[in-house]
Amino acid sequence: MSNKLLEIENLTIDFTDTLHRKNIINNISLQLTKGEILGLVGESGSGKSITGLAINSLLDKKKFITKKGKIFFEGQNVLEKSEEDLLKIRGNKISMIFQEPMLSLNPVQSLRTQICEVIKLHLTNDESKFQDIIESIFSKCGLECNNKILNSYPHMLSGGQRQRAMIAISVVCKPKLLIADEPTTALDVTLQLQVLGLLKKLSKENGMSLILISHDLDLIKNYSDNVAIMKDGKIEETNSTSEIFNNPQSSYTKRLMNCRPERMIDGSRCNQELLRINNLNCRFLTKNSLFKTKRKYFHALTDINLSLNIGETLGVVGESGSGKSTLAMSILQLLNYQGQIIFDGLSLEKMSKEDLRNQRKDFQIVFQDPYSSLSPRLSILEILSEGLSVYGDYTQAQLLTLCEELLNEVGLESSMLYRYPHQFSGGQRQRIAIARAISLKPKLVIMDEPTSALDVVVQKNILDLIISIQKKYNLSYIFISHDIKVVSAISHKICVLKKSEIVEQGETISILENPQSDYTQQLIRSTLFDS
Amino acid sequence: MIGRSKVIWEKFKSSRRNIYSLYIFSFIFILSIFAEIISNDKPILMKIDDKLYFPLIVDYKETHFGGIFETEADYKDDFMQDLIEKNNNWAVFPLNPNSYNTINLNNSTPNPAPPSLHNYLGTDDRGRDVLARLIYGFRLSVIFALVLTIIAVVIGIFFGAIQGYFVGRTDLFLQRFIEIWSSMPELYLLIIFSSLFEPSLSLLIILLSLFGWIGLSDYVRAEFLKGRNMDYVIAARTMGLSNYQIITRHILPNSMISVITFLPFRISGAILILTSLDFLGLGVPPNTPSLGELLSQGKENIEAWWLSLTTFFVLVGTLLLLIFIGEGIRESMDSRS
Repeated sequence: MSNKLLEIENLTIDFTDTLHRKNIINNISLQLTKGEILGLVGESGSGKSITGLAINSLLDKKKFITKKGKIFFEGQNVLEKSEEDLLKIRGNKISMIFQEPMLSLNPVQSLRTQICEVIKLHLTNDESKFQDIIESIFSKCGLECNNKILNSYPHMLSGGQRQRAMIAISVVCKPKLLIADEPTTALDVTLQLQVLGLLKKLSKENGMSLILISHDLDLIKNYSDNVAIMKDGKIEETNSTSEIFNNPQSSYTKRLMNCRPERMIDGSRCNQELLRINNLNCRFLTKNSLFKTKRKYFHALTDINLSLNIGETLGVVGESGSGKSTLAMSILQLLNYQGQIIFDGLSLEKMSKEDLRNQRKDFQIVFQDPYSSLSPRLSILEILSEGLSVYGDYTQAQLLTLCEELLNEVGLESSMLYRYPHQFSGGQRQRIAIARAISLKPKLVIMDEPTSALDVVVQKNILDLIISIQKKYNLSYIFISHDIKVVSAISHKICVLKKSEIVEQGETISILENPQSDYTQQLIRSTLFDS
Repeated sequence: MIGRSKVIWEKFKSSRRNIYSLYIFSFIFILSIFAEIISNDKPILMKIDDKLYFPLIVDYKETHFGGIFETEADYKDDFMQDLIEKNNNWAVFPLNPNSYNTINLNNSTPNPAPPSLHNYLGTDDRGRDVLARLIYGFRLSVIFALVLTIIAVVIGIFFGAIQGYFVGRTDLFLQRFIEIWSSMPELYLLIIFSSLFEPSLSLLIILLSLFGWIGLSDYVRAEFLKGRNMDYVIAARTMGLSNYQIITRHILPNSMISVITFLPFRISGAILILTSLDFLGLGVPPNTPSLGELLSQGKENIEAWWLSLTTFFVLVGTLLLLIFIGEGIRESMDSRS
């Protein structure tokens, strides 16, 4: 037998439901040797995760029909095995970890119960050995092995601990193959490095093969030996990592490579101040009480001071929970806060409700998730004309022309006005959301992670659009993101948030080249992977 | 919306049980709306002495035909029957020549009388035609249930929307109010009111509407709590839309699915409530055609199978069809499958 651990030959899978039948995996072939780390890259919907599930035979056979192809694991075709034989392989020889550990760990069982379950199934029934096994695997995974952790339930652990625990459970049986499906996408950047390092270490120590499924090119570049690039259910290109990145063959791979954000703006801008934030504090009541002293608060924002000029982009970077979105909501006057927000020379919190409603058209927002930001029951025309009809008396014909212009502005055809949001792709929806935001000719647009839910190719296009609109209308942006790469590509100034406070702020270039605080340094290192 | 409802309709259609249930129910209900033409004791068309009469539409006095009474002609009476059979006279009676309150006075057997050529499904204990009472009773039940459901839905959406959208204190006070309101003994109130006032259909609808919306408002409230935090709602607020505009344009249309899903079940529930109240004698005024009253007669006259069995089948059939339709709607609206 060769040292091939896994061989996929001409795999083709169809997906069916009551109404449709669609080909989702088209004739793919892959090979994996022992101890190899294979990166599987592709946009969402390219069939990466389905391939991972197919290897483990975890697909619902009624909905996913394997039309042809073979999957050899250790020389045996997995697809022909009975469910009983598969049970011996799953978890024991092939293991999986998923994106969201909170969803893949059972919330009503303690960690000990969950890990013992696997040990009992695949390793030994001798309960006296359990403690040793758990201790050794926990120390490998960088988890403390004490009763406090073992007896806790998933929600009591931190995000990093959860993912480590998930990995510990998956590798406790020393599997030959671990399929990691976007293992770090849900984690904060600082944790990503640790978890990926752990996976690589485990792979080296145990001679375990690893399939790393991800959309993040930089991550794949740094951690995998070989790369397979998937698009629309097909494998576009497979090669060693260095070959792919230095000498990409297929046009799609080349396009992917070109989409990594690079600095897209020049330094020129106006010196007139548009927005000034003084001592902004925001807190949420977590425990109510009749007595003021006994009330407990969660501080979402502490002493924030910011300023933004006309035509300028301020990038706000921070991990989830650092208060980025709270900042956006405060500026939009949708939250109660303490402090002062001066917009265009006017103090917003002193305004009457009427004045505020008139002022609102000057600051707009674009959200992260293009699926929840457009009302599914309104047509594009209705969505775009909504704001316009609040502030002006337009006739139906005037509204129509205005909306057509808006659509053209964001690169969509005016014939799309009568369609509904679900008929558009994520990128197109985001364009519509941008069109809605600029429909009132605002002075400031807050972009709350506008490209995080999009694929790299689309992300690049949207960023281009954002920049060109800024130039045309001299707009100011507050660009919120967890991705320092994207932020640095389009912002003039950066402000780094951590646990509700500003750690550092200044000109983009000076922060990137000479970060002052530890946290910023860590953040830059972990995202850009030049360790 | 066009796209989504089309998908739902396609999905609904894909099950034959759903589509047949819907067609059969609609057919029967539309038929029952024309109950006066199908089951009546007045002829649709009548020709007497070379003159055409439309007794179904126009009231003719008996004196008009040479009778003695100044009241409306009784076309089942011997006098009119003789007249119709004379010379070239004729009359076209509806399929079932009895109305819900037509009493068969010529019955040879004591009431309740078994099925015969005069009364296809027999008579009840007062000699009224069972088939006619079933047809009119079915119509009354369904219309009653529709009205009750619509009122409950409107009130439920109103309160649920206010609670879910404004949250905080408004929500708190309304929720406490609902808790107190729903702990009032509905059945006793019904008994008390039916003895205080003259029982009538509108009184029943008012009383039942007072309580019918409570369960529904909870669902709407939950949908609104979810909806008010959606990105498109926040975007609408930043564009300066008023609360009313946000509720009616953005949140309500997206919350309607849970309401629509419940409609068929609420309708069948309302039919059941009316039947049970009538069965207990607390429902519609006497002489109104009602399924519950027929069932209660069936209980009194256990040997008269045509009373209890026929009513039972009509009731079970109606509820079954409604539940099938409801099941179908629920499945087609479930975006997960």
